Amino acid sequence: MSLPPLFRRPSTTLIGSRRSTLDVARGRLVFVGIVFALAYILVAARVMDLTLIQGELPRLARMTSPDQGVTNEPVIAVAKLRGDVVDRNGVLLARSLKTASLYADPALITDPDQVAKDLVRVLPDLKYGDVLQKLQRKTRFIWLRRNLAPQDQYAILNLGHPGLNFQDEAHRIYPQGPLTAHMVGFTDIDGHGLGGVERSFDDLLAMGNRPLQLTLDVRLQHIARRELKAAIREFSGIGGAAVIMDVNTGEILAAVSAPDFDPHNVTQKNSDSLFNRLTLGVYEMGSTFKIFSTAALLEIKNVGMGQTFDAREPIKIGRFSITDYHGQNRVLTIPEVMMYSSNIGAAKMAEMIGTQSFKNFLKDVGLMDTVQVELQERSRPLIPNPWREITTLTASYGHGIAVTPLQTVSAVASVINGGMLVHPTLVMDGTVNDSGKTKNTKRNAVRVVSEKTSHRMRQILRLVVSDGTAKSADIAGFQVGGKTGTAEKPGGHGGYDRKRLLSSFIGVFPMNKPQYVVMVMVDEPKGTKASYGYATAGWVAAPAVGKIITAMVPVLGLVPQDIDPEKDMAAQMRPYVKDKTGKQLVSVGVE
Amino acid sequence: MSSFSFDVQSNMTFAQKFQQISWGLVFLICMVASVGFLALYSAAGGNLEPWASKQMVRFGVGLVGMFIIAMIDIRLWHRFAYGIYAIGFILLVIVEVMGKIGMGAQRWIDLGFIQLQPSEFMKIAVIMALARYFHAATLEDMRRIFFLIPPALIILAPVGLVMVQPDLGTGGMILMGGAAVVFLAGAPVWIFITGIVGGIASLPVAWMVLHEYQRERVRTFLNPEHDPMGAGYHIIQSKIALGSAGIEGKGFLKGSQAHLNFLPEKQTDFIFTLWAEEWGLMGGVFLLALMALIFAYCGWISLRCRHGFGRLLAFGLMVNFSLYALINIAMVMGLLPVVGIPLPLISYGGTAMLSLLTGFGLIMSCNIHRDSKLPRM
Repeated sequence: MSLPPLFRRPSTTLIGSRRSTLDVARGRLVFVGIVFALAYILVAARVMDLTLIQGELPRLARMTSPDQGVTNEPVIAVAKLRGDVVDRNGVLLARSLKTASLYADPALITDPDQVAKDLVRVLPDLKYGDVLQKLQRKTRFIWLRRNLAPQDQYAILNLGHPGLNFQDEAHRIYPQGPLTAHMVGFTDIDGHGLGGVERSFDDLLAMGNRPLQLTLDVRLQHIARRELKAAIREFSGIGGAAVIMDVNTGEILAAVSAPDFDPHNVTQKNSDSLFNRLTLGVYEMGSTFKIFSTAALLEIKNVGMGQTFDAREPIKIGRFSITDYHGQNRVLTIPEVMMYSSNIGAAKMAEMIGTQSFKNFLKDVGLMDTVQVELQERSRPLIPNPWREITTLTASYGHGIAVTPLQTVSAVASVINGGMLVHPTLVMDGTVNDSGKTKNTKRNAVRVVSEKTSHRMRQILRLVVSDGTAKSADIAGFQVGGKTGTAEKPGGHGGYDRKRLLSSFIGVFPMNKPQYVVMVMVDEPKGTKASYGYATAGWVAAPAVGKIITAMVPVLGLVPQDIDPEKDMAAQMRPYVKDKTGKQLVSVGVE
Repeated sequence: MSSFSFDVQSNMTFAQKFQQISWGLVFLICMVASVGFLALYSAAGGNLEPWASKQMVRFGVGLVGMFIIAMIDIRLWHRFAYGIYAIGFILLVIVEVMGKIGMGAQRWIDLGFIQLQPSEFMKIAVIMALARYFHAATLEDMRRIFFLIPPALIILAPVGLVMVQPDLGTGGMILMGGAAVVFLAGAPVWIFITGIVGGIASLPVAWMVLHEYQRERVRTFLNPEHDPMGAGYHIIQSKIALGSAGIEGKGFLKGSQAHLNFLPEKQTDFIFTLWAEEWGLMGGVFLLALMALIFAYCGWISLRCRHGFGRLLAFGLMVNFSLYALINIAMVMGLLPVVGIPLPLISYGGTAMLSLLTGFGLIMSCNIHRDSKLPRM
């Protein structure tokens, strides 16, 4: 037996080697037990380290010397620094800090080799070769390092080399990081705004007098970004956008475009993510446009809800044919066209409205012009020229005309809020813009649809959510209404690609007295197992809007209202609606 | 301790067996699971839905299963050890083949009513098969290298299959659990030293084989601050949560890191952080003490067991449980890289809960039938 005596019991050896197997096992068991016990103690020590030594003790130390925190606060000379950007509650979105930048005057440097060595020691991220080469140039000024930390500046001063000088500079920081990337934007290293409000209010911010207050609310911004990113991740989209807007004032409370970027670190590498899908991207929005065809019909033709449209046969014009996705193959009423999202029905509506009237209507709600918002990254809608008969038909369900998501949202808000045109805005009232004018949202009120039409549209959109394609956006107590839109993106040969979708949902709540419009759009989502392979808006965008609304409720302190199912906005629409089997819809309440 | 006591124990009545159930261990398990319910209730913002209620139901079902398994005669488990291993292995192969045919990493078999994860099942099966193999081994056997080849295959075959899934974490756990059983059975120490040295030596090779996301995890572990918004985010947020907790914690349902969604995976892998943020140092150490007591209890059961099969089985399962607990907690505190290993009995998840309680059932069976006489082969 080669075993150490520790593992062997000197007493009875009952069945020879079998006995010693047991001894070995006991010894080893104890050994493993001790190892694990030590591991448990180690882990417990780490808990203590994190909670007590790194957590509680520094807090106690701060508490016992209360004045230290104040005296350590550096006094920043605000005078010439670029102005702050804050959100509607005053939360800081962008601020400039004073820093020192290091430059060399090579003419004054006698021993470039030694200076380069010393510098690399203090600033390890500099490369010796680069520094040496710079110091040997025949020039009187060369940047060595921008925006130094104070302790680095101190260390360089201590080196005592002549020819190394500092210039005071400002460093722009964005405490919220990528959260408001596209809206706040970013600056170059010299502090010139290159995107977002940093660019559109560059002169104002450069004066640095007062903070620029945006209409954004970082809390809602966080919610919108979180849910948008979750939806994009879940459905493997290539990007997307989300907006929360006040339907009455047009104030943008949250606006996100994905992918986004870190405004501190804008490089060639992430330049794709600089693209603002919300205001610079133009898309064929799909079925959300049926909101406008229906509103136009109600407004211009003054028809009743019972007005029917034959959706039994696809419409064929030349080589085109318009078909239905959720085909019902029967005659549909106006609410049914919306609820089942019938392309044929919408096209017939547009036919009834007439090309010129329909175009005028789209112009009235702002869908034919560049979106009006305080950003430079804006696009003109793509409108076919010449506008042919077929364009009227396809535009009725959101194809053949491409607009920015933001103007679609504000057009929906205009139709729903009682009929007054909404101007989307990103800055609070009272802000002086670059041309010196004080901003004031109380511009001339423009009516786009009558109060009655707006009321009808609220009932119909409520029906779409309570009974139709967007049930997953229905949040009890808030009467959410809205419309899904699943558009096929243009493919290679002038046709459409069935695989590449743009799924969006525009929701408004509460429908009895609209306050907020919420939109989520996901670019090229792919179906998942949980969605049974569907990547349509009802699966992708509507649940995301539902989650955003759920999260908004506690943040804004909204109070849900218990509603008698008969008083629900959708209730008056139900008599005009049959279910998929053709039976009169009598179901009351929410599924 | 005379030989006739074997026969007395093997024919116990149902009531006698029921009395013999390790009630102390049952109590400890229930305590730990209750910590899990509280944490899941808090993770949902003070709501039983969607996690706590489901977890309670699973625990209830699992507990019943645990008692049934505990009452079953250890000789039965001994007889069917290889059979159970074979079934687990076949399931694992099926998953692998299905994964090849289907899309991406496939770890589940969908039986309609339950999703079966064979790798979870295999952790227990490997330990059972090894316990059976070494049950009657003598020290002379253990020194014969040919004798040690079959157990090596028993461990490495499923480990290989799980690793190519790819599920490095579970694969490593099966490997360590199996190695622990071989160690206890008395295999020469040089094998383990060679294995550890060889493992360290082959690290550079392993680095080449790892997926990019796995390398990123290791880099993040070495320096979480190098990418605070990306891969290092989990660990940094987790440390902030613990640091803000202090001695007494922030109080039940008041952990801001978790509730403001700063903390990802708070209901699964990072649940210890959520718990410690709300209950502080006290809560964290309390939970660790419970885990350590379970470990000690199982170790005692293993020590008392009079047949090799039970001793090795209880020991292997106990090592497996403790490794899970220790690795998970060390991981969320930045002592180990993030490897996606749940906290046993606490993290939200059905298969893990059921397999753990199955394991405890087997350990209890070892205790109840500790004096049974098992066939030598």
